[in-house]
Amino acid sequence: MRPYRAMARIAWRNALAYRVPFLMSLSMLVFNLVAMFALWRALLGDGNSLAGFTWPQMKAYLLVSFFTNCLVSTFTDFAMASRIRSGAVAVDLVKPVDYQKGRFAEALGFALLETAAAATVCAVVLVAFGGVPLPPPGRLALFVASLAAVVPLKFLIVYMCGLLCFWTQNYLGISLARVAVSGILSGATVPLAFFPAWLRHVAEVLPFQAVTNTPAMLFLGRSPGLPGVLAVAVQLLWIVALWWLARRLWHVAVRRLTVHGG
Amino acid sequence: MHTLRVYRRCLGAHLRATLEYQADFWILVVAAVLTQGAGLLLIATIFARVPRIHGWGVWEVVLIFGMMVLAQGASELLAEGTWGLAGLINRGELDRMLLRPYPCLLQVCSSRVGMNAFGNLTVGGGLLVSALAHLDVAWTPGRVALAAVLLPSALLIKVSLTVVANSTSFWLRGAINTFAAGLDQLGELTKYPLSIYSVGLQAVLATALPFAFIGFFPVSAFLDHGRLAWVGLLTPVVAAWCVLLAVAVFRRGLRRYESAGN
Repeated sequence: MRPYRAMARIAWRNALAYRVPFLMSLSMLVFNLVAMFALWRALLGDGNSLAGFTWPQMKAYLLVSFFTNCLVSTFTDFAMASRIRSGAVAVDLVKPVDYQKGRFAEALGFALLETAAAATVCAVVLVAFGGVPLPPPGRLALFVASLAAVVPLKFLIVYMCGLLCFWTQNYLGISLARVAVSGILSGATVPLAFFPAWLRHVAEVLPFQAVTNTPAMLFLGRSPGLPGVLAVAVQLLWIVALWWLARRLWHVAVRRLTVHGG
Repeated sequence: MHTLRVYRRCLGAHLRATLEYQADFWILVVAAVLTQGAGLLLIATIFARVPRIHGWGVWEVVLIFGMMVLAQGASELLAEGTWGLAGLINRGELDRMLLRPYPCLLQVCSSRVGMNAFGNLTVGGGLLVSALAHLDVAWTPGRVALAAVLLPSALLIKVSLTVVANSTSFWLRGAINTFAAGLDQLGELTKYPLSIYSVGLQAVLATALPFAFIGFFPVSAFLDHGRLAWVGLLTPVVAAWCVLLAVAVFRRGLRRYESAGN
């Protein structure tokens, strides 16, 4: 456990040392939040409701979606990709730590900072715009649990995309495609309730919806009681399944590695 | 004339080099399609439930969106190299370019080709054509002339603003210019009708950082839509200003440049 704790600590310090790139990448998500806020306010601001969303509820949804967008967003995959492409991954292979657990430890370190930053932005928005219906304590606890589950879940999705670098030269395309696909299927782009029925059914059976849709629905009280607990259980199941899948992928991928010289 | 030919040939060389990595090329094309697809999904889901946003119909918004995508593609084709400027400065590689008897700015611009340029140009072009077909525009000679002026001006604004954003690398001195990426993301706000934003933000996007002249204002002028349609007629003037600004900022920065040494 100790080496992983150290890795998480180093990751956290790294993020603090390079805080300008970190804040800039966060600012991109903030600008996106600004656009979405303006767009939905234009649609719902005068008391309308669309697909069962009123303006206060949509505000809450956008904030939760912003929060989940911030988590595990910037560091893990690009750092991994560049190490795989440059061959520096060979050094990681000789270390007596598990590669996947090591990357997860780093992601946790970053996630601390990401959580702090995202929470600050959300607090500012809440103070400035207000009017978000807060859930009662019991539901809030479940919401926080599901938000915590987002970190390993998103890490695994990002990690598996990073592994694809063993096959391709360029990571940018994979990263952009991942952001787009998970943005759509998680409900971060548009709430799943707005989807046509067939797309909603597709999204519901995939792991992406557990990243944004699950915590947002818990926060809004759309899945109260037992369904809410089940939704968190589904998140946990996906974490177990994807953890195993990522391991299989790593074993296949690492066989493709050729490092020249050293 | 000679200058332009060298620029074109330089881009051509990078294009051929880029196309060597076929898998990566296709991944980036798909990534661009998915990314813009997510944006279109948002527009489609909204307009499935409301006919207009602040007086803008679905195909009018698609036209703005298409202009933005096309402009992004243009800047990825013509000025992608500027995204590497921070790295060039950081590693002292700009020295080499300064020795050559050719404008440094154009060398930087043509030192790379954005691989998702093709995806974005295709998607943007497609959106533009289908929006215009659905909008049933009366193509009088005047209209045609207006389009012929507005379109290249708008693209030029995007390219110039990319150069301006990245020229800040001379002052910021990191290996990656995340500030430019943040600014670029701010420009994304203008994918939607400008009136949804607060007055202050509208003013910024129309004057200090004239991203609104890439899609929103030229489209307003072309469709003669809204009270501020006449502002769109200023697009060529804004384009000229942006080009001058890009050249001036780059020159200013170059004067500050100190080699990293060898």
